[in-house]
Amino acid sequence: MARSDQPRVTPGVSLLPTPEPVPATRERSRPRLALGGGRRRGAGDPAPATPAARELWLAVHLPHYVLESLQPPASMPIAVVDLECGARVVCDCDALAAAAGVVPGMALNSALALQPGLHVLPRDPGRERVLLEATATAALDFTPRVNLEPPDAVLLEVRGSLRLFGGVRRLCELLRRRLQSSGLAPRLALAPTPLAALWFARAGEEVALRRPDALAARLAPLPLAVARWPERALRSLATMGVRTVGECLRLPRDGFARRFEPQMRLELDRALGHAHDPRAAFAAAARFVARRDLEHEVTDTERLQHACEPLLDELCGFLRAQEAGVEALELRLLHRQAAATRLRLGFAEPVGSVARIMDVLRERLARTALCEPVRAVRLRSGPLVATRTATQDFFARECRGGAAVPQLVERLQARLGAGAVRGLRLVPEHRPEKNGDMPLFSEPASTSARSAARQATCPHFSRPVWLLAEPQPLEGDERPRYEGPLEIEEGPERIESGWWDGRDVRRDYYVARTQSGARLWIFRERRAPGGWFLHGVFG
Amino acid sequence: MSLDHLLQHPALWRAREQGEATVRTGLPTGYAALDRVLPGGGWPLQGLVEILADRTGIGELSLLLPALARLCSDEGEGGWLACISPPHPPYAPALAARGIDVSRILVVRAPPAEWAMEQALRSGACRAVLGWAPCRNGQGLRRLQLAAEQSRCLAVLFRSLRDAREPSPAVLRIALEGTPLGLAARILKSRGGRPASVLLGWIDAAAPTHTH
Repeated sequence: MARSDQPRVTPGVSLLPTPEPVPATRERSRPRLALGGGRRRGAGDPAPATPAARELWLAVHLPHYVLESLQPPASMPIAVVDLECGARVVCDCDALAAAAGVVPGMALNSALALQPGLHVLPRDPGRERVLLEATATAALDFTPRVNLEPPDAVLLEVRGSLRLFGGVRRLCELLRRRLQSSGLAPRLALAPTPLAALWFARAGEEVALRRPDALAARLAPLPLAVARWPERALRSLATMGVRTVGECLRLPRDGFARRFEPQMRLELDRALGHAHDPRAAFAAAARFVARRDLEHEVTDTERLQHACEPLLDELCGFLRAQEAGVEALELRLLHRQAAATRLRLGFAEPVGSVARIMDVLRERLARTALCEPVRAVRLRSGPLVATRTATQDFFARECRGGAAVPQLVERLQARLGAGAVRGLRLVPEHRPEKNGDMPLFSEPASTSARSAARQATCPHFSRPVWLLAEPQPLEGDERPRYEGPLEIEEGPERIESGWWDGRDVRRDYYVARTQSGARLWIFRERRAPGGWFLHGVFG
Repeated sequence: MSLDHLLQHPALWRAREQGEATVRTGLPTGYAALDRVLPGGGWPLQGLVEILADRTGIGELSLLLPALARLCSDEGEGGWLACISPPHPPYAPALAARGIDVSRILVVRAPPAEWAMEQALRSGACRAVLGWAPCRNGQGLRRLQLAAEQSRCLAVLFRSLRDAREPSPAVLRIALEGTPLGLAARILKSRGGRPASVLLGWIDAAAPTHTH
């Protein structure tokens, strides 16, 4: 099969002289495409000092990405079809359909003849892209260096992560389990260069190759199709009898460069680690968006809650990778006809744990009435907020328990509404009504709270613990009455303030006692209509 | 787990607390007359306390303020205080004047006050939970009592005097009445103690200090 001595007999199309892009120096130092194949490495051939030897790339190839991107139900034969030259052609099918004889590339009519109960889905490139990015996001849990290899693969540089995850085998196992839990069937391959790893994975060979010098020998038996070169080039190589990577590597370098695309030779160099392979790192999206189709339409909120769990798992994995949390989430429940039900979840502080989000979601779902059965759920995060993890002090003397407060507030707000839980505010103000309540956590606790307290509380006069939301008019002209005549105990204390904002008050405040022993804070209006008002209660 | 947690383990005792711990398990109320008649020498920190009063304004909250100041002030334990369905909005300057840190107060307006109170008790987030709920059914009360039993906080439920006749699982029940001589407290039920009556007099929270 050694036919490398006759490369000149090639079809005319590929004989077009192609511009020579590779610098002459490299050409001189390496007359052959590669040093592998049948030849031993000679003394004159310098060992290539490339950074590839210091990297380890794990390729994740998803052979059934077309099918998996549509999240099909598991219990029926399914085929995904695409329009090719006006005909509907099966481009992927599941195991049940394959058992009936359906294969990719088959016309839809033939497939339906083989399997009449075939469930046919149209292909959706948008969701295929989403699937790939979700896979890359999951991969970010294992290493910060992740590249997309559209349409169906993701590359991870894992050299630095091996020790953390306990070796190649364990890391691969963890990654595989992670992907399988989201319904994917990945093929993993590890090699010192990204392209080699990708080619192994595409060929379905799940190797774990760590030595760069063994690359050429291990790549040699792979069919050339794994490189996904242009169809025309592959055909002309096949007519030359070149069908595997090894056979291609034995071709004379200059002739190959002249007849084929320069990109092809560069890729061979990159696969073997002879050329650098710079790649744009994948950056996860700034927000999390995911959708899940439910297998059956769901009518009760309890089952809906279980259906949301995988989405939340995914979200929290994403947040962990970003070292971030979210303060707001939007869950859309998609129905068959009615407009989607939108649930907005708010949190008192950035959160990133499933249990915490589930807590709030449970309360929200419990008081949501579904107008129609739910077919799909879509989860969308608000902006990400960087979180800081606090360490706990062993010798911490204080046991304030304040850490659980935001969680309590979220749970209460989820059931009672956002406005139901408030905090109190101290304002340096003489007008009593200015010291009301306020939304919780709306402003950071100020250090001047003490001075505000000093100004708001007057040490010489009594202040009631309850302040009525609105002053309540009292009967009586000279002597106010409230369940009988009131007895004045203290006063008057004049409060006259607020001329600058138009809500000025001029009042004389008194402490009064009712017949039944309750103490009240009342005032006499100094301005036009006058009269007595009840403003507070000494509870 | 911090050292503080370890020291609170029931199996640990410290020599200097010997003898004292067995007697004084309660949180001092701040009123000597009341401390004397309460078992444990103060408010129980495990279990529900019921305060029965027909009207606001007789000093029902002031009765708790010294204890709350101990639990919820910067100088004290710095815990959170939850007020569930209070009859009126609490007035921050008066509470601040008594040393309570108002930035750590939650005010919850909840129609299902019992539910909100139970959540606050179970969360372990608050050092004191005050709830105003009618609690007409015994089951709701029992749930609250269970939650209060498990939490380590001051749990106080305010109800009406009419409910005094109904049985209640609370560990302490106090009926308050305003009299011309000030606040009178009747202990209707106290676990480990006996019914008693105390005249507390005028115990108003922010009474003028008359320092001028």
